Amino acid sequence: MAEPKGYWYLASYPKSGNTWCRVFISELLRLSGETPTEELHLNWDLNTGAIASSRLWLEDQLGVNSCDLSFAELDPLRAAAGASAWLFAEGERFHKVHDAFRSPDSWGRPVVSLEGCRGVVYILRHPEDIAVSLSHFFGWSLNRCVAFLLSPTAALVPDPGHGGQQVRQHMGRWDQHVTSWVDQLKLPVLVMRYEDMLHNGSDTFLALARFLDLPTNQDLVNAALGNTAIGRLQALEKQVGGFAEKPAVCERFFRSGRSGEGAEKLSLEQRHELAMGLAEVMARFGYEGPET
Amino acid sequence: MAEINHYTAFGITISSDLVMPELQPLSSQNVSQPAVWIRRGDSSRWPSRPWSRHGTPSLRLAPGECRLELEGLLRLRAWDGCRLHWQRWDDSVSDRDVRTFAVTCGLGALAIQRGMLVLHGTALESQGQAILLLGHPASGKSTLAWCLLQRGWRLLSSEFSVVDEEGLIWPGLQQLKLWDDAARQLGVDWAQTSPVRRGLKRYALRPPVIACAERPLPLRCLYTLCRDKGAAPVQQEDEVKTLAAQIRASRAFSQQGSLLSLRNQAFHPRMYRGMGLEAGLFTQAGALARRSPLHRLQVPEGIKAMASALEHLDLLDPASLQVPVEESGDG
Repeated sequence: MAEPKGYWYLASYPKSGNTWCRVFISELLRLSGETPTEELHLNWDLNTGAIASSRLWLEDQLGVNSCDLSFAELDPLRAAAGASAWLFAEGERFHKVHDAFRSPDSWGRPVVSLEGCRGVVYILRHPEDIAVSLSHFFGWSLNRCVAFLLSPTAALVPDPGHGGQQVRQHMGRWDQHVTSWVDQLKLPVLVMRYEDMLHNGSDTFLALARFLDLPTNQDLVNAALGNTAIGRLQALEKQVGGFAEKPAVCERFFRSGRSGEGAEKLSLEQRHELAMGLAEVMARFGYEGPET
Repeated sequence: MAEINHYTAFGITISSDLVMPELQPLSSQNVSQPAVWIRRGDSSRWPSRPWSRHGTPSLRLAPGECRLELEGLLRLRAWDGCRLHWQRWDDSVSDRDVRTFAVTCGLGALAIQRGMLVLHGTALESQGQAILLLGHPASGKSTLAWCLLQRGWRLLSSEFSVVDEEGLIWPGLQQLKLWDDAARQLGVDWAQTSPVRRGLKRYALRPPVIACAERPLPLRCLYTLCRDKGAAPVQQEDEVKTLAAQIRASRAFSQQGSLLSLRNQAFHPRMYRGMGLEAGLFTQAGALARRSPLHRLQVPEGIKAMASALEHLDLLDPASLQVPVEESGDG
């Protein structure tokens, strides 16, 4: 197999299936013999690449303590971090991103490096289901999650007085996040709907494997898909005593994985709120709101 | 003409046209020949040269030279282990902005050029012996350091530290930086702090608010910190012991494990590589791995828990912090 060149982004609004995608990639590589371990280990084998907002990674690239820079100063500098493709470690070719493509502070620049990047997989999910998943993940009320999805200033790690392992990631409103990636013209994009990953996994993940230059043997893809089904991931999470990316307030990371939970758990008013605020992009990607 | 100030850090005498309260001052009578000159420069006159492929757009590297460019803020040029020139991006950039990066990136690059072992960590002293706290961003180094300072320890250096070939750790950056949330939870007196830079919710504590050691001291051991993410504390017979059990050390790493960990926690390994000094880093890290034990130190997630857990612990004695059997230590 030729030496891999370049890298990809796996971009998504949080709780949209990004981790599942990374687990699938790890498992496909393992099954194809690229990463020879006997069984997938959630907390060891998910090193597909640093998250683009990692302080450790940014500090290596910028040469300074990222904590000495404000978020507004960092955002325009982030596009230059990792500007040479070879800087990305071999085997770590798939970088998770939750930021929108640009931030209000990034001087119109993308917040990620484009140099050497071969493309972006944008994963999106019905915003009603994201609201329910966010609620479990952060321990927030559904009302707060709905407001978050509709907030033009929504961000992860937004507190400038708190130092975490990642820098602030501006996301904006859910529809702004989607279009920031899907409609940008700098990088080739593969759009994947979570619902298609769930209900038409074989074709959807085969398309992913093709886009990412991964092995495209249908049997291997199906096997990787079978090994990363939600029930299997829940068992693996239990086996490792807690997934490393799970926050303390969240009981378990791999929870239900279903689609349609939002319609069941959100109130009609909350669903209307989302549908009104996000109508255009929801319709564009085939997401329905409540019947009026 | 700017006033010239003299300082000492990492055993180096420094002459600077910037006021640097992060460094230990020297009276000019005690300075015969400074080893490092820090001066305002003009980047348009800096020579062009071939750069290492290990550099980045912000950090250009070549044997004996490191240049930092932070768009909108400043440019730094550190070369030959003795010169550091700085240039602000424009007049909106204050001296405080410049020195924040000059004493970290700039001075760190010079120390590497001078052949020193520079590790990304915070060093503290108690009873004439030093420990070095290593760890990734947000691993809790500064919080633990502040808690130890409250218990009578003294700061040798924060952010990065220099260990010499005799295992002595040198006084360096004598300033501790705390995030706003940590400062609040630790009950830091706001009157005694100042923002690291204008607009940042991150605060600097310096002498005399914090006690600092003024001479090099032997390194007793090193710890690489990791956060205990939400794990329930091991229940002991009383509350004090339960709190104390939240801080646990592993057995000492093997020499090979220690060498790799120290190499990874060098102050910007990329600088060593790009300035052609990585072989020296391995040699020095190997010598340190043979001389001083490295332990993984598990610290609690909560800031208050960290302060309470330290009540009855002695970080100079890693064996007393170990939980038998369950830790492998080879990380």
